[in-house]
Amino acid sequence: MKFKIKYSDQIVGLFIVIAVVIFALIVILVGANQRWFAKDYRFKTVFQSATGVSPGTSIVMKGFVVGKINRITLNADNAVDADFHIYDTYRNLVREFSILELTVSPIGLGSQLLFHPGRGERLLDEEEFIPTADSPAGIAIIEQELVEIPPKDDTITRLLANVNPLLENVNRVMITINRTLTDVNRAIAGQSTGPLGSIVNDVSGAAARLPVMADRVDDIVADVQTRTAGLLDQVSSLLLAFQVVSSDVGAISNNLAATTEAIRDPTGLVPKLLDPKGSLKTFLDDNDALYKRVMSIVAEVETSVRSLQGIVTGLNGEMPKISAVLNETRTAIQQAQDVLEGVKNNPLIRGGVPERAYQDSLYGSMREGSFE
Amino acid sequence: MNILSSLGKSARERASTLLYGLGFFYNVITETLRFFKRSQVGYKVLINQILFTGYEALAINAIMAVAIGAAINVIGSSLLPQFGQSQLMYTILIIVITRELGPLLTAFVITARSGTAIATELGGMVVNHEIEAYISVGLNPISYLVVPRFIGVVVSMVILTVYFNLFGLLGSFVVVQIVNPTPVSEYLGNLLSLLTISDIFSGLVKAFIFGIIVSVVSTYQGFSVNRSSTEIPVAGIRAVGQSFILIIVADVLVTLVQYA
Repeated sequence: MKFKIKYSDQIVGLFIVIAVVIFALIVILVGANQRWFAKDYRFKTVFQSATGVSPGTSIVMKGFVVGKINRITLNADNAVDADFHIYDTYRNLVREFSILELTVSPIGLGSQLLFHPGRGERLLDEEEFIPTADSPAGIAIIEQELVEIPPKDDTITRLLANVNPLLENVNRVMITINRTLTDVNRAIAGQSTGPLGSIVNDVSGAAARLPVMADRVDDIVADVQTRTAGLLDQVSSLLLAFQVVSSDVGAISNNLAATTEAIRDPTGLVPKLLDPKGSLKTFLDDNDALYKRVMSIVAEVETSVRSLQGIVTGLNGEMPKISAVLNETRTAIQQAQDVLEGVKNNPLIRGGVPERAYQDSLYGSMREGSFE
Repeated sequence: MNILSSLGKSARERASTLLYGLGFFYNVITETLRFFKRSQVGYKVLINQILFTGYEALAINAIMAVAIGAAINVIGSSLLPQFGQSQLMYTILIIVITRELGPLLTAFVITARSGTAIATELGGMVVNHEIEAYISVGLNPISYLVVPRFIGVVVSMVILTVYFNLFGLLGSFVVVQIVNPTPVSEYLGNLLSLLTISDIFSGLVKAFIFGIIVSVVSTYQGFSVNRSSTEIPVAGIRAVGQSFILIIVADVLVTLVQYA
């Protein structure tokens, strides 16, 4: 009989027993590797999103798997409640202020759930809550440096950690520019009530008032021309009167010069005066001709002086009007200059109407002077 | 009219065959449940069946497992690192060996070896009127001839799948050492961290179902022989063909159920 047939029972028994032993061994090894016989410590946390988190997701600390996610559920606040467990070998790491951090690979290589042990002394009890790094509690713990967070050992993550603040700043600037442009657009559309809208409205109003102002300037200039024309006529007539008076004064001066010259000769004066045919006799016997002549000259001088006094008085009376006209003209020209300067310096391009340094008039009216 | 009558006749015959097959399967199951309660001579047939179907197929099964495992190891360890996914090699190895190819290839081997043998043996017994002799002396041919083969094939199938897993997962490691030396602790650590109990049971469930299919189809085809010896090889061929088709369909259905 063949060996196999003779010992078929033993062979088959061995064949089956070895298979069962192998199967049992594999099951035990798998169970031991998957921690069937180890105690796990369960904790709770809340994620804002379940993206990258699922039952069975490993919780990693410094490259070591220290636990796994057991269950995730969407709660009433639209957050994700998660139950997870930490292996007993890492139980002593779960201290107060520990946090979880969900990191997503920037180049699309999945996500990683990191565990950061807290610096507290107390070990957390089972079923206690451990916050995530992006929760307010987690952020507070990180800011107070109550948790040990190792530096990211991934070059790209480190690089992006440096780039991220820059990108945030750029993003902030872009948002500001966008907001400014929106404000400018709204201001241009006349829908803004802010400073820029006020400036644009002012410019718009000023531009609208520009023709009116130009008309007013024209009127003022015409008025000034009219007034100046009358004044010039008066001044011209005064000058003519001055010329007449000057000629009279010149004649008087010539007479006085001749008289003075005649008096200056001492030798001839007395004989001339005493000579019966001399001047003195003539002077005394000329029926007051000389006296009348002198009196008429004095009267003419008095008339000239009075006329001059009238001119001066008239000028004094006109000075406040002239001053007011000149002030109005100056104000109108300044306003026109502001408007033109504002239009020229478009605030959208340059920066608005520059500050004007005002200069007080150097010439005050005589009336104003009298009240000082 | 002839076409319609032939179609109707064919449908009636197929329905009758299907009902007969279901009745046969029901009888096998009921007799199997009674098998261990009886102290009968069928036990020796069972041992011999496991010996022929399981033990004698172990060598070819182990060679196939080691070859496929080694091929997956070599290809995976050279191809997957190019994509930075070296760890996937263990996942692929586990899925292919334990879940898919292990039970499937084992079933094919058993069908080719034992399925044809069972069909031709039973067909020969029918032709030689041995079945009538069993009946005449009061022995139920299903209880005495079919049930030991049924149990033997199913048990062999499951046990060979366990061996296939062992050789495919660990035996291939020896071959890989020649091409790509890897520390055994690293290999086993990675393998056991990814191997789950569901992977193992998934393969065993498939093996159990495939064993039922092979044994029932083979015995059914063996009994389908009527009186001519020329029908015996035809029965063997039909047993192999139907077993392959049903194994593949069952594999798809079980996989769909597992991943659904």
